Amino acid sequence: MVQSAQFAHSLEGWFGFLPLWGWAAISAGLVIYMLALPFGGLATYIERKIAADMQDRIGPNRVGPIGIFQFAADAIKMLSKEDFVPKGGDRFLFNLAPLFVVVGSCTAFAVLPLSKYLIGADVNIGVIFLLAVTTLIAPGLLLGSWASENKWSLLGGLRAASQIVSYEIPVALSILPVVLISGSLQIGQIVEQQGWTVFGENPATNHFWNAFHNPFTFFSMFLLFVGGLAETNRIPFDLPEAESELVSGFNTEFSGMRFGLYALGEFCDVFVMSAMVTALYLGGWHIPFLDIEKLGFALPTGLVAFIQFHMFMIKTLLVVFVVMWLRWTLPRLRVDQLMGMCWKGLLPLAFFNVLGTALWMWVFKGQSLMQLLAGHG
Amino acid sequence: MNHLMQFSSSLQGYLAVGAILFSLGVFCVLTRKNAIGILLGIELILNAAGINFVAFSKFRTGLIDGQIVALFIMLIAAAEAAVALAVILRFYRLKQTIDADEASIMRN
Amino acid sequence: MNKVLLLAEILTVASALIVGFHPNILYASVFLLFTFCGVAVMFLFAGADFLAGAQVIIYVGGVTILILFAIMLTQWLYKIKLADIRNKMVVPALLSAAVGVFLYRALHQMVAALPPQTPEALEKFTATPKTAAIGQALLGGYLFPFEAITILLLGAMVGAVWLARPE
Repeated sequence: MVQSAQFAHSLEGWFGFLPLWGWAAISAGLVIYMLALPFGGLATYIERKIAADMQDRIGPNRVGPIGIFQFAADAIKMLSKEDFVPKGGDRFLFNLAPLFVVVGSCTAFAVLPLSKYLIGADVNIGVIFLLAVTTLIAPGLLLGSWASENKWSLLGGLRAASQIVSYEIPVALSILPVVLISGSLQIGQIVEQQGWTVFGENPATNHFWNAFHNPFTFFSMFLLFVGGLAETNRIPFDLPEAESELVSGFNTEFSGMRFGLYALGEFCDVFVMSAMVTALYLGGWHIPFLDIEKLGFALPTGLVAFIQFHMFMIKTLLVVFVVMWLRWTLPRLRVDQLMGMCWKGLLPLAFFNVLGTALWMWVFKGQSLMQLLAGHG
Repeated sequence: MNHLMQFSSSLQGYLAVGAILFSLGVFCVLTRKNAIGILLGIELILNAAGINFVAFSKFRTGLIDGQIVALFIMLIAAAEAAVALAVILRFYRLKQTIDADEASIMRN
Repeated sequence: MNKVLLLAEILTVASALIVGFHPNILYASVFLLFTFCGVAVMFLFAGADFLAGAQVIIYVGGVTILILFAIMLTQWLYKIKLADIRNKMVVPALLSAAVGVFLYRALHQMVAALPPQTPEALEKFTATPKTAAIGQALLGGYLFPFEAITILLLGAMVGAVWLARPE
């Protein structure tokens, strides 16, 4: 295990007056309360601003300087709504369902590689952990739709669960080429191996970003992106919560903070999926063609972590922007088109990519395009 | 409390949990009228078997063969759950109920 | 660290108790989900890291969703109460308790028969990652069962699709 990359170990190294489990608890709290939940809240505001921009209007601009406290206003509004359970609905499951979504998305933040020294827990099964934890979201949608005691909700929930479960397969198969290339499931190592500098020596394990390793992984990145869109019920796959078709689908009967938890969980999941694409394919925290730790003069670790964190966030937020951009650009897929696209389209393509990557690794002995160019050039 | 923690992280603890899960699974299979309830019991039984294998793999042999067998158990359980649920759906279409007592065409 | 394991075991056993005794089949399925999560944590403490991830993906993300689908597809049209009325619980309870005790005692024989590991070996076993070893074994010594399972899964998939076909 890469000890230095874990958040709790780094904090203990820098400050050191609490035992390790104290720092682990603090780092879990920091990640969730300073990254996951603020992002979930601000994302509602950002989405409305982006939507406004696409639709040539202004968007929220009353609460705060450019309307930036709109999400806080929304939260206060949601907290002040009546707490009711539909008549005949199941109170326990109605309360439990949004928690699955939030727990599933927020737990995934533990393994996101925010920086080389700021990974919450760089576990050896990092990729599998991500897949496992995002799987916890599907029962949340199903149980919530059942507990709503509403036929439209139930239909929406069934569609949502079947969509999530179906699209997990192309997502997992699109992660597989990256694992093939890096030979490890550990996300910290996968990102580490994507560093490439033009000033100096590159270790033999380093290849440039996985997206540019070979044409098959470039294609895989888009498959992972599309699969991630489907996993988080974003357009063009948002029939389960379609506003115009199913009266908001599985979250029809949810109001107030329960709906807020669903929305929060969904946006956190969008962040997790974007972070997955960034970390696995777009080089994570690396600045392209520059390694700031080998500049000749030593930078303090805190500054390095700061810069790397910002690089990671820039890339992830770009991907999130594309996700939100697509929402206001593309029409919605019908449910049979959606499932057909998964099983008859994405799945064979994902298999093809895995085989292609394996073939490339065999023919070129694991070298990426960049390594080949550098080797010959 | 200390004794309980010591017990729980030893081989006996894992085996005890496995045995409890197994007996609860058998209880589910024996008493539930709902066909899906019987399936729940079967899943508990398979999980218990997996726990046993993994526990022996860690505490006695130090080899990963126990984990591989547990992996195979998981795969077989998934396949069997899919087929069992397809059968239940078929049965529901036939009889509009999934009461296990209704599956009695071949009785007597 | 042992506290977390104890908590996980208690969660597993409590959820399994609810699965066994709760009349509402939907609640039983939800607590089965918690049982699966508890078992995954127990796997983590037994050095089976890959298996813990696989447990959550396969059971929580696959089997639980299947069970919930089956419950929702077979109950909602007729809106019958999801209660499972059992009137004779004593004999099955005694029987299953006897089975459990017998299992524990029988395995205890094996516990005594095999030599125990040293604490350092246990620590090392728990700390080493198993994914590479499992991969090597699946394509090495366990190749035949691995291939047989793929055929089994294919058969199960085809069978399930055919059995559940629309008329």
